[in-house]
Amino acid sequence: MHFLSDLITYGPFFFKAMQVTVLLTAASITIGMAIGLLFALLKISKRKLFNRIADIYIGLIRGTPLIVQLFFVYFGLAEIVDFGQFWSASIALAVHSGAYIAEIFRAGIQSIDRGQMEAARSLGMSYPLAMRRIILPQAFKRVIPPLGNQFIIGLKDSSLAAFIAMDELFHLAQRFAASTFRSMEFYAMGGLYYLFLITIFTLAVNALERRLKVDEI
Amino acid sequence: MIRKTLLHAILVAMLVFAVAGCGGSKESENPTTGEQVKETFSWSCSGQYRPFNYYDEGNNLTGFDVEIGKALAEKMGLEPTPVTAPWDSLINGLQAKRYDAILGSMTITEDRKQQVDFSDPYYVSGGQLFVYKESGIKSVADLKKDTKIGVLTTSTYDEEARKYSQNIINYSSDETALRDLDAGRLQAVITDRFVGKLAIDETGLKNIEMVGDLLFVEEIGIAFRQEDDTLREKVNNALKEIKQDGTYLEISKKYFDQDISK
Repeated sequence: MHFLSDLITYGPFFFKAMQVTVLLTAASITIGMAIGLLFALLKISKRKLFNRIADIYIGLIRGTPLIVQLFFVYFGLAEIVDFGQFWSASIALAVHSGAYIAEIFRAGIQSIDRGQMEAARSLGMSYPLAMRRIILPQAFKRVIPPLGNQFIIGLKDSSLAAFIAMDELFHLAQRFAASTFRSMEFYAMGGLYYLFLITIFTLAVNALERRLKVDEI
Repeated sequence: MIRKTLLHAILVAMLVFAVAGCGGSKESENPTTGEQVKETFSWSCSGQYRPFNYYDEGNNLTGFDVEIGKALAEKMGLEPTPVTAPWDSLINGLQAKRYDAILGSMTITEDRKQQVDFSDPYYVSGGQLFVYKESGIKSVADLKKDTKIGVLTTSTYDEEARKYSQNIINYSSDETALRDLDAGRLQAVITDRFVGKLAIDETGLKNIEMVGDLLFVEEIGIAFRQEDDTLREKVNNALKEIKQDGTYLEISKKYFDQDISK
């Protein structure tokens, strides 16, 4: 088969596209975490208005497919403000994963015993300070497994950027499939790179989890 | 302590990305971001339409369309900047000013003229019927109402196929349609004669054959935004020049062994 020699011939291109995929995922996850944290806090807030805002955002995002959101940002928003390919894709992915991350964070925060907050407040800490020093660090540890899961989904979701012709892994596979008419080989090759990335990432998350466990005595 | 540092590190990372996010769109060098530098002639195609526009083994965008575009840019004294976008959003991208033109084997049709203006035709081709060898179809006369025909979505071939059958399957690229034909999942595909012929001759699709004459002749043009008359005129002039000085013929012969301008 051509497959092994193809792996070498096309290797550098796939490697470069893999970097684009990683950058896109990193940007979208980082922004998505910020969005997620913000909306998790809005959702657990005592103010009804904040809860309502968070509900609308989460409902809207979870209720529509990512591809629709991506087209909306890239084609729809372009009439008003054009973020360009990379940031359009990053923003769409971030806003999308943010809704899921918000729920993950909310569940994490709510899983911390109510007494922790009460104790912190009775020591004289303000609500934001208690949240930052006491609740969030504990919650963060608990949400690592679902968060890791969400990141893996985010990494694979980044392949949808191919639909705006962004030069990431899947689109690269698609374009070589189109010019050589050997789809299977190229999609398999793209798949291998995703598998490689996700394996590395999984190992990193596992290591982080072990490390934080030692810290807890 | 570790927890606290970790949390801080994450917060800092978020901030960095948020800031980078604000500045990013301005600094980007990507020609598809809509940043218009006037010394360039940027055009778009699907990049999945061999031999007209495709990526070669070196991952370079090439093909007949791309070389014509480069020759035109050279005549106009502009820097050629070809980019790709999905076929069905090419016109969207043109109107959003992501590029100056569509030079990607787009047939001049009345429908499209409602949205864009076309240059003079830069080549002439036509729709051709390709069939699965065991289907027994020998010409368009054998096509029935339920014959499964695959075509590129929003293409002239789509319109043509609907004249013969009600069982039309739409694809986002010709490659996927032709592959499904080769696998026997379709009975016929209508596409450009050169594209289908190349798939048979050079890319090893063994179960497909070309039948009959051209179904229709079509003229292919370069699309511009309707307010962009100056650029369109410039390109028309450059097109005449490359036809006169032999550049066009050279590119045409390289890909098709013939002059495809008539």
